[in-house]
Amino acid sequence: MNIVERLKEQLLDKILKFDEKSARRIYIDLKPEDIYDAVKFIFKDLGCRFATASGVDTPAGIEMLYHFSYDETGQIISFRALITDKIKPEIKSIAPLFKGAEWIERETWELLGVNFIGHPNLKHLLLIDEWPEGSFPLRHDRKLS
Amino acid sequence: MDLKTIALTKSISVFHAACSPCNNCDIEILDMLTPRHDVERLGITLIGSVRHADALLVTGVPNYKTKERLKKLYTQAPKPCVVAAIGGCACGRILFRESYNSPCPVDEIVPVDVYIPGCPPKPEAMITGIIKLIEKINPVRDKTPKATDGCLRQPISNGVKAKSK
Repeated sequence: MNIVERLKEQLLDKILKFDEKSARRIYIDLKPEDIYDAVKFIFKDLGCRFATASGVDTPAGIEMLYHFSYDETGQIISFRALITDKIKPEIKSIAPLFKGAEWIERETWELLGVNFIGHPNLKHLLLIDEWPEGSFPLRHDRKLS
Repeated sequence: MDLKTIALTKSISVFHAACSPCNNCDIEILDMLTPRHDVERLGITLIGSVRHADALLVTGVPNYKTKERLKKLYTQAPKPCVVAAIGGCACGRILFRESYNSPCPVDEIVPVDVYIPGCPPKPEAMITGIIKLIEKINPVRDKTPKATDGCLRQPISNGVKAKSK
């Protein structure tokens, strides 16, 4: 059984949308609250490698993407979650699962303002510590100085 | 002409201060230092510690974090120390001037002696810039290669020939 079938079997009705752009590029839409378990499954049980996470400020909300690579077949699987609350966006942190996610979550937090619940060390990474609170450089509603 | 100026222009130890560059200028700096262009023939060597440096090569647009570090680097460098801003970013921030993480250009942090624009500048342009700076600081230095020498491919002989008796 390949990993896509195993993922479908595990996640079942949690999948909002299954998008297969090509045989090697797969997007799976999930609810923000289901991300943690899905990440735990794909990383610990399926043995995929965590490539990176990315955040996008879209009109509908803030979109978080978690990209995983399965190196045996070269497939890239991305979990996509839309956080609709733009005023106080929150998602459960995946940094307790593996250390590699710590810095990218810190960066997403300071640039997009996504609060990662359960992150062990949520402080500024690229910006200075004195950066004004509530000002997120990569949000579209931020005015240029 | 005091001893310090003579020592400064005789053989320059350069320190490479990378202030959040994109690495393109840094690659060209390495190109300049390595045998293809070989600036050691002009007495220019790369040095690991800023405390031994005669010149700072600054690349990139400083952000809030590297701004403080560049200031610290300059205070640690023995004076007189010259600063070369290498690349369009270090010269005038180009497209990053509106960026959220770009407080000021390099010349507002440390006094810049020579601007070498380009994205990235050619090694020849850097060598020419450094030689022009040497000529300006020490105009009487007789063995100074001319500014145009930076564009030459072959090594400079300085016109010295061994005489057989």
